Amino acid sequence: MNTIPFGPRNPPEDPLLAKAAELPKDVAPARDLWPGIAARLGEAEKPAARSFRWPLALAAGVLVASVSALLTWSLTRSPDVPAPNTRIAQATPTAAPTEVVPVKYGPNSGLSAKDFGARDELLRQFRGKFADLKPETRAAIVKNLEIMQQAANEIDAALAKDPASGMLKGMLVGTYKQELQLYSTVVTSSDGLTRRI
Amino acid sequence: MSAGRVDSSAELVMRACRGDTGAFEDLYRQHVGRVYGLCLRMTGQPESAEDLTQDTFVSAWRSLPGYEGRSSFSTWLHRIAVNAVLAKRRSPQGRNEVSMTDELGEQMEFEADAPMDEATPIDIERAISGLPPGARDIVVLHGIYGYSHEEAAEMLGVAVGTCKAQLHRARHLMRARMGEERAT
Repeated sequence: MNTIPFGPRNPPEDPLLAKAAELPKDVAPARDLWPGIAARLGEAEKPAARSFRWPLALAAGVLVASVSALLTWSLTRSPDVPAPNTRIAQATPTAAPTEVVPVKYGPNSGLSAKDFGARDELLRQFRGKFADLKPETRAAIVKNLEIMQQAANEIDAALAKDPASGMLKGMLVGTYKQELQLYSTVVTSSDGLTRRI
Repeated sequence: MSAGRVDSSAELVMRACRGDTGAFEDLYRQHVGRVYGLCLRMTGQPESAEDLTQDTFVSAWRSLPGYEGRSSFSTWLHRIAVNAVLAKRRSPQGRNEVSMTDELGEQMEFEADAPMDEATPIDIERAISGLPPGARDIVVLHGIYGYSHEEAAEMLGVAVGTCKAQLHRARHLMRARMGEERAT
């Protein structure tokens, strides 16, 4: 940080300005102004709230965005296509799950009963096809849902501190849409996703 | 500043950015004199200067995450203070307040109190406070606080040439006020 102090860089040639430059820079107010300021700081948003929430929320957002890439790969890859360069945990074929746990959204999500109703309907259709998916696809889906859950948790925690944040709300809705997209992709896809008998 | 604390502004700013109001109070203690001094000299009114000083620090608290350290914290704070003063001047309340006006500035051209060499700091302060707002602003920022014409112009939202012209005018008015013309 630059901490260059106040003061003329070059002494003024004008004697009047030279005298002005010699005036004390500091003038003490007649009363302590801090109590009034401190009272108003409570009304103002704490700077820390802004500066430290965003990295958390953005990290969650990155996870959500990464889900799409991995999911696309999981559902459409052929055996000889390498996985995309993503840090998301790879599914373990030997531990293929038979059931999914939908994402739980916290009290700050702002999602309505209508939103959850739409999801539940899609989830019902999804579950009807889930058991028929290839083991590695099922494992990938479960892993991705876990990541979405982590993102939702972090965004919800950030929203608890900053309920008015439009950006956080947008990210939360984005997570919700990702979840729906996942279910929808499975429901509407038929070829190549199910087990070969 | 709290007893025994020798934190630099940089460290205090970082802590304040994390929501540490104690650090921000330390910053206030370090800088309030200069902020109040600037507000007082630009407005000429202690009560307004107190309000503006408080506004400045509250705005600074809100804006701390946007402070990137490109200028010194003091300069950054002064920019906020200048904006606060100018905003108040433009407000209906500010326009209605009684202040030293251009009218008085023109009047001072015919006054002559004391020779320049004998001018005390109080004489200088009085002469500055009697200047019309535009001329007073540039004397305060450039003459007292040492900002360049370019910096002062940017703070005030005027052209550099305007700053120079205002300073010329201010010097003329102040000399008249302090009797230099008569002395010479």
